[in-house]
Amino acid sequence: MLLRLLVAAQVLYVLGVAGAGYATTAYGQHIWLATSPVDLHSLQYESFVRLRYAAAKAPLTAWHGAGPPQRRQAVYVLLNAVPSPDSLATVAGVYDKTLSPGAGQAVLRGWVTDVYSRTLGLRYNLERYYVPGDSPLRLGKTSPAVRVRVSIAPWGQARIERVALLPATAAR
Amino acid sequence: MSRKFLDTESPAWVSEGLITEDQRRRLLARYPPELVQAVGLLPLLGSILVGLSALSVVAANWQSLPTAVRLGLLLGSLLAAYTAGEYFLRRGNRRVGHGLLSLGLVLFGAGIILTSQLFQLVGYDVSGLLAWVVAGVLLSYLYDSQSLILLPIVIGAAVQTYCTQALGTFSYATVALVALGSGYRWWRRPDALVATILALGLLWQAGLWVAVSHAKITWFFIPAMLVYAAGDWHRDRAAGRALQGPPLVAAYLFALGLALFGETDQYAGLLRPPVLAYLGALAAVLALSAAGKRARAHLGSLPDWLLLLPGFYLPGGLPLAIATLVVLYAHAGSVLARAHRSGEAGQLTLGTVLFVVATMVAYFKLTWAFLDKSLFFLIGGVLLLSLSWYLRRRNAQRLAAGAAAVTAASEAPEPA
Repeated sequence: MLLRLLVAAQVLYVLGVAGAGYATTAYGQHIWLATSPVDLHSLQYESFVRLRYAAAKAPLTAWHGAGPPQRRQAVYVLLNAVPSPDSLATVAGVYDKTLSPGAGQAVLRGWVTDVYSRTLGLRYNLERYYVPGDSPLRLGKTSPAVRVRVSIAPWGQARIERVALLPATAAR
Repeated sequence: MSRKFLDTESPAWVSEGLITEDQRRRLLARYPPELVQAVGLLPLLGSILVGLSALSVVAANWQSLPTAVRLGLLLGSLLAAYTAGEYFLRRGNRRVGHGLLSLGLVLFGAGIILTSQLFQLVGYDVSGLLAWVVAGVLLSYLYDSQSLILLPIVIGAAVQTYCTQALGTFSYATVALVALGSGYRWWRRPDALVATILALGLLWQAGLWVAVSHAKITWFFIPAMLVYAAGDWHRDRAAGRALQGPPLVAAYLFALGLALFGETDQYAGLLRPPVLAYLGALAAVLALSAAGKRARAHLGSLPDWLLLLPGFYLPGGLPLAIATLVVLYAHAGSVLARAHRSGEAGQLTLGTVLFVVATMVAYFKLTWAFLDKSLFFLIGGVLLLSLSWYLRRRNAQRLAAGAAAVTAASEAPEPA
C-alpha cells in the first residue's frame, strides 16, 4: 500500500515536470536570443548541438554587484527585448541579486564561467539543444546561425521553445 | 573452502585418520558441485541482452518519437519495474524483487532528467532532483534490503555533484536527507558495508562543500570527524568501526601528505583556517567523540585523534615535518598497542604497516639531504631487513605463545 502511494507520487512528479514544461511556454515571457553559427558535426555522434549565445558574453561594465564577479557565481541577466516581439534580446546588465524587469525587459538566470579583463563569460544552462528528429538542423550541412526562442516562467524556470534558422527570419 | 579443495584433500584426511570414509562422503554431499548454479545464470544473461537491445532501439530513435510516446515510455517502464518488483516480493523472491524496486527508483531519476530534457527545461535549483533523493530514502524504509539502503546514498552523492558542478551551490537539503534519512536507517539496522558506503558518500559531499565554498581544505575534517564521532556512539562496534574507516583513512592520508610536503610553507599556508574557529569546532567534535567512546566503553581508540593534531599551524619547514612524523609514529604505536591488548591479527597487521610507512617516510624525509646516495640506499635496505627480521621474530613468539595456550587448554580436560 505504502509502495503504491510512493509510486503514484513519483508518476505524478514526472508528470509535474512535464506540466512545468508546458506551463513555462503558456505563461512565460518569450524572448529571442541570437547565437553564433552552430557546429553540426556533433550531431553525428550525439543527439544535441551546443549553442553559443551572443548573450554569453557581457562587458565588465554591465556588472552590478556587491563585489567583483567570481567564477561559478549565480547571476541574474537583465535582457532588453524591445521593441518588436521578433527582435533579438541583448544584455542590459548582469546582477548578483534578483531584480524585477521593466517593460520590454526580461531576466534570465545564469552563471559566470570566466572573468576576463574586459568581459564576462556567462552560461545559461540552455547551451545544450537536443535536436528533434524533424528539425531543419538535421538536414543542414553547413554551420547555420540560428535564433533561439526562450520562454522564462514567472517562477524562474526557463526552456528552449524552438530554434529557427536566421536567414529564414531575415527574409520574412 | 571450495568443492575442488574438498575433493583433492579429503582422501588424505581419511588415510590420516582425521575423518572416516563415511564422514568424507557426507561432507562431499554437503557441498554439491557448482555446475547447476552456472546454468541458472543463463536466463538472467539472456534477459539482460534482450533488455539491452530494447534499450538501444529506444535510445536510437528517442529524438524522433512524439512527446507523448516518450513520456509514456518513461512512466510505463517506471510502473512496470515497481509492479514487477512487488509481484516477485509477494512470491517470496526477495533478491529479484528488491532488484526491480531499485530499477524503478533509478528509472524515476531517469524520468525526471529525460522529461526536463524533453522540454529543454532548465531549473535553477536542485529541487527537481531532490525529489529523487526523497523517494530513495522513503523507499529504503519500506523494505529490508541492502541495495535499497545503498541506492539513496549513491543518488545523494550524484545529485550533490550535479548541484555543485552545474549550479554552483551546495544543497544542504541533500546532505541532510542522506545524513539523517539514510543515516537513521543504518543506525536502526547496522551493517558494515552500508556504514562504509554511507561514510564515503558523506565525505564526498563534505569535499564538494569545501570546494564550492572556497574554504581551506582542513575544514573538510570537521564534517568528516562528525561522521567518525557518530560511529563512536553506535552500540554495534563492528558497524561503528566500519563507519569510522573512511574518515580515518582520509585523516591518515592528510597527515602523510603533511609529513611529505609540509616542509614548503606554501602548502602549509593553504591549510591554515582561522585558529579559534577551527580549533573550537574540532574540540567540540572531539568532545562528542570522546563522550561516545566513554559511553560505549572503548576509550582505548582515542589515540585515533592523534592524526587530527593541527600541526600545520607550526611554521613550515623541518619542525613541521618532524612534528608530523612524531604524530605518525605515535599513532602507529597506539594501533600496535591496542592490537596487542585485543589480540586481533588484522589490527596487528595494520599497525605494522603503519609503522613501516612512518619509518619509510621518516627515512626518505630526513636522510636524503645529508647522506651519500649509495649510503642512503644501503642504510635504508639494512633498516628494512632488520625491521622485517624483528617483526618476524615477534610474530613467531606470539604464535608459539598462542599455540602453547591452545595445547594447555586442550590437554587440561583430557584426564577427566
